[in-house]
Amino acid sequence: MNQLKLSLIISKKHSSGQHVFKSGLFYLVLLFNISTSLQAFELTDTISLHGFLTQGYFLTSSNRIFGESDTGGSLDFTEAGLNVSWNPDADLRFAGQILFRRAGTGHAHDLELDFGLVDYAILSNPETLLGARFGRFKNPLGLYNETRDVLFTRPTVLLPQSIYLERTRDLALSADGGLIYGEYRTEAGNWLVEIGAGVPRGNNLDTELAYFGSNYPGETEPKLSYIGRLSYEREGGKYRAALSSVWLDVRYEPQFAIPDDLPSVKDIFIPVIFSVQYNGDPVSLTAEYATRRIQRTSVGHTLDLDITGYSYYLQAIYRFNEDWQFIARYDALYNNRADKYGKGYQALTKRPAHTQFATDWTFGVRYNLTPSLLIAAEYHYVNGTAWLPYQDNPNVSDLEKRWQIFSLATSFRF
Amino acid sequence: MRLRKWQDGSPIKVFVMPDGNPTHIAFSKHVLRVFPYQLRSAWNRLVFSGTGEEPIIVESEEKMREAISSTPGAIGYLSRSMLNESVKAISNN
Repeated sequence: MNQLKLSLIISKKHSSGQHVFKSGLFYLVLLFNISTSLQAFELTDTISLHGFLTQGYFLTSSNRIFGESDTGGSLDFTEAGLNVSWNPDADLRFAGQILFRRAGTGHAHDLELDFGLVDYAILSNPETLLGARFGRFKNPLGLYNETRDVLFTRPTVLLPQSIYLERTRDLALSADGGLIYGEYRTEAGNWLVEIGAGVPRGNNLDTELAYFGSNYPGETEPKLSYIGRLSYEREGGKYRAALSSVWLDVRYEPQFAIPDDLPSVKDIFIPVIFSVQYNGDPVSLTAEYATRRIQRTSVGHTLDLDITGYSYYLQAIYRFNEDWQFIARYDALYNNRADKYGKGYQALTKRPAHTQFATDWTFGVRYNLTPSLLIAAEYHYVNGTAWLPYQDNPNVSDLEKRWQIFSLATSFRF
Repeated sequence: MRLRKWQDGSPIKVFVMPDGNPTHIAFSKHVLRVFPYQLRSAWNRLVFSGTGEEPIIVESEEKMREAISSTPGAIGYLSRSMLNESVKAISNN
């Protein structure tokens, strides 16, 4: 890890004189300046401000994503974020981010606090870091979840939906509560553990549609849930691996009596995600695999179920040079391991079998005009509709099993 | 950057040059032994998840030397020819 290497360099600062590191044609040295007395910092020295703005265009052959994409394309996709952090001292940080988002039907102009937290490091030395975050924290899940709304940090305009489903996005985003973290840095790599408890966001129509497929009179609400991730990283992120899981508690409380409403329901959703990544030059390879178990219990047991689905993707990025890259990915999601292609589901519910799976071949290019400005284009060939956002596609009988997406986006960051 | 403070407790201020700068690329590849895109990607993750800070970017080696010499707790890198008495050099070996 680069931080590790720096820390090793730094730890020798007292014994070093004037040395020069020679490598190939370059002579490079590290420099430092240690304050010998306590000095007051200007407030502005300890505050950082960052932001991003992305505008996307989506065109689909059929089925809709982010607006009326099947009729001449849709520009209803905008992401903008502004974040500020304040470090009053080396162990204490305050950080917050406001997110504005336009993302099709039901999300014409969402403005929300994406995260807002205080972070305190109890122990911080070159080998070990131990600390905690309180407030609204981003859920540590897989490789991309925490920064899923920032095009600069995700590989494609549309993240692999097998793991990062658009339809349950709000539940996955962030939670209100606390998280403890510990990092152990060794020559053989860095280990990081994060364990959190909090109430996820997602008290909205998207959650109800994702869980029950329809808008019911009562309220679907996330409750106190738990999340954990163990990550390993070496050589500055050349090799990365992670194991993450969630115990997500969502309840439905009816407003009316049966048959005018659902019964009271408790849903426990337990995804487990395995992630590996290799970052070389010119190729990066990424794979993530998830099992997704949902255990539903309801008053009267009429809606009870226990289903395990699975999903995965394999992704390769080829960097032609520092500015151009090409990406290819195969992505697959199966809602129910025991009924992979939805035949049993169709017989039981009369809904199409293709709503229970989706495979997606993606090919894309990205060009960095400057380090702060990029353009990305991609093509998806999709078989199945398991991850289609509900609000853009209210009528299930209108859905096409095989469909295509073309997307173009530009993004600026500072 | 994940290491936050020096042994005396004062905050570390890390300075780097822009992603495409030849000295930055050389330092990343030959000293840190990582590709610049790995650094960029790690810094973006820290900044936009609220879990950390990215280094402060300076446009040139002159500005790097000036920033290091005038900021308490600062660390950065320079070509050998840019060294003078205003900064102190260390090595990683």
